[in-house]
Amino acid sequence: MLRGLRRRTALTVLLSLTASLLAACGSGSEAGGELTAEPVTLRFTWWGADDRHKRTQQVIEMFQKKHPNITVKGEFKEWNGYWDSLATTMAANDAPDIMQMDEQYIASYAERGALLDLNEAKKHLDTADFDQKALATGAVDGKQYGLPVGLAMYSMVVNTDLLAKYGIPVPDDTKWTWDDVRSIGEQVSKAGGGQVFGVQSPGINDTAGLSIRARQQGKALFDAEGKVVLPPEIATKYWTYIQDLAKAGIAAPPSVTVEKASAGLNQSATATNTAAFGLWWNTQLTALTAASGAKLKLLRLPEESQAKSPGAYYKPSMFWSISSRSEHPAEAAAFVSFLANDEEAAKVLLTERGVPANVKIRAAIAGQLKETDKAAKEYLDTVPVSDPPRITPNGASTTDAILKRHTEDVLFGRTTPEAAAASFIKEVQSEVDAAK
Amino acid sequence: MSALDELRQLRRGGVQVRKSDNRAAFWFLAPWFAGLLLVTIGPVIASFALGFTKYNLIQPPRFIGFDNFLRILSDSRLHNALRVTFTYVLVSVPLQLACALGVALLLNRGLRGLAFYRSAFYLPSLLGSSVAIAVLWTQVFGTDGLVNRVLGFFGVEGRGWISDPDTALSTLIVLNVWTFGSPMIIFLAGLRQIPEVYYEAAAIDGASRRSQFRRITLPLLSPILFFNLVLQIIHAFQSFTQAFVVSGGTGGPSDSTMFYTLYLYQQGFSRFDMGYASALAWFLLLIIAAFTAINFWAAKYWVFYDD
Repeated sequence: MLRGLRRRTALTVLLSLTASLLAACGSGSEAGGELTAEPVTLRFTWWGADDRHKRTQQVIEMFQKKHPNITVKGEFKEWNGYWDSLATTMAANDAPDIMQMDEQYIASYAERGALLDLNEAKKHLDTADFDQKALATGAVDGKQYGLPVGLAMYSMVVNTDLLAKYGIPVPDDTKWTWDDVRSIGEQVSKAGGGQVFGVQSPGINDTAGLSIRARQQGKALFDAEGKVVLPPEIATKYWTYIQDLAKAGIAAPPSVTVEKASAGLNQSATATNTAAFGLWWNTQLTALTAASGAKLKLLRLPEESQAKSPGAYYKPSMFWSISSRSEHPAEAAAFVSFLANDEEAAKVLLTERGVPANVKIRAAIAGQLKETDKAAKEYLDTVPVSDPPRITPNGASTTDAILKRHTEDVLFGRTTPEAAAASFIKEVQSEVDAAK
Repeated sequence: MSALDELRQLRRGGVQVRKSDNRAAFWFLAPWFAGLLLVTIGPVIASFALGFTKYNLIQPPRFIGFDNFLRILSDSRLHNALRVTFTYVLVSVPLQLACALGVALLLNRGLRGLAFYRSAFYLPSLLGSSVAIAVLWTQVFGTDGLVNRVLGFFGVEGRGWISDPDTALSTLIVLNVWTFGSPMIIFLAGLRQIPEVYYEAAAIDGASRRSQFRRITLPLLSPILFFNLVLQIIHAFQSFTQAFVVSGGTGGPSDSTMFYTLYLYQQGFSRFDMGYASALAWFLLLIIAAFTAINFWAAKYWVFYDD
């Protein structure tokens, strides 16, 4: 070994190793045409948890029975891996035909020409039963790049079992404020003795939470052109609030918050019964209840009654999109139509992807809903909303990650709320600019 | 005649190599060459070209000159990533090599059951950069993890090691040090090559163990040490999996585990900025090349070749 290893040998080995460092990098028919009778394989991808995979697989089998020549191959992943892998397959010109798409990403993909305008496939994809406002959320520049699947609303989830245990009454959510959340949370933390906290810290996957605070003041995150117009003082107030919750012990210590946030819904403070209040999408109530085993209730967002107009809005929980490079756009459209319009399919899918945006389907499944699903639907039917914000502009799909990093910087004392606010606005704006 | 002498004789033409043998060799090598061209050289060239473009994975790349490289100078998150990566490399590699050498010296004393210990210490190297170990690490260093349980037993209050930006990088450094097995094996092989007679002579002259180590072992082992140093530095610069898994792909909390490679990956696959990501890859190549060049230059002053 010693004698064999000369300078030149070592150099050769090193050069080849350095070179290996870089090794890591690595349309057919018309949408409006007739459905083919030839055997066709469609690829369909979605993100989600186990329950969703089972239901979706079941619906795929129902579709294949109706169209024996069409095979639908399901590819499913967790949220995080989903976007990485979608970007990679897009780059490789190997994108799935049908994709579950999110509000944060739809403009990014649509404006880069990756998605099919569903209007071209109208012959196979009927959208007549959809709420027009909901339908508009899937349009970019007048083209329908996504068909909204379900609707969701941002809400405050309260653990009524915990409140009852500590003898604290459930607050009246028709006129409560962020200060009320703080003071009730303080009582919970006191009673919880370091094990149970009042509030699950906001600011982790909470762009909606920040957006709602802006909307309550008549402002917004983005204007119609996609420019960041969030007033810095609103963001400052937002992070001051988060910092105060942690410092006062109303939320868990920062490192616990960060740890739980990265472990997913089932490990969250709400799901583990370690915080009485938490901000969630109303449709997550079922999953949270299943994980926590406690009685959870949806409350209206704080300060809605004092707001200029309601901060709450209908968010399309997700969209069905078809790849612009799909070789079988007509068949893909037929499958999307089955997912969105077929009553039998809807009875399997229920509200697992949100309360259906298809009004007829929503009525058809009403009788089959579980108690938590019913609560989510009722919340959607009764809580006042205003017009939804502009969809996340192209380039801003990383806003959640930017927000989370700034929250961490604030929580660990690496920056002040003022500096975080300024830096957040600047960074999101530069992401939007970079995508142009 | 040793294998090396045989090879030399072959080169000098002492043995006739038939042409048909050459052709056969070529065919046997062909799959490897195809792989090299398609999965290594092709992408390397492509990434160099892409470094000068704006390329979002879907639309065709657009030439933008040196913009991506200029951005490297002003990108403050990248500068943070560089700081994190340098800290990781400069702290973990010396510690890892020290552990490797220490254990190799122990094992070289002719223990019984050497093969077992050798395998036991080598095992983490095989697993070290795997996803499974990184997942295990999040458990070990979590708030309710093994480390805090042990600390709790001694009455010390733990913390969320991985979820605290002050300690998150240290857990990754510990992980890298723990995988000292492969340099250790190389050290062991090197130690075995040092002729026993040197030590015998030194012992007769009354040299202490310490000075035997300093004056015989270290100089004769220096080429091996050099080899390990260069290799492990390159390896550490390329670390990715650990940080990706432990931070859930974010490089957090507060960018405290944002390795250069992870930042590069995020630019390419989360921000769809493949042009900038390619530029970053070439910049990393330059950094590693610079470190390696410095190493080779410095080697003149401390590496002793016995031939």
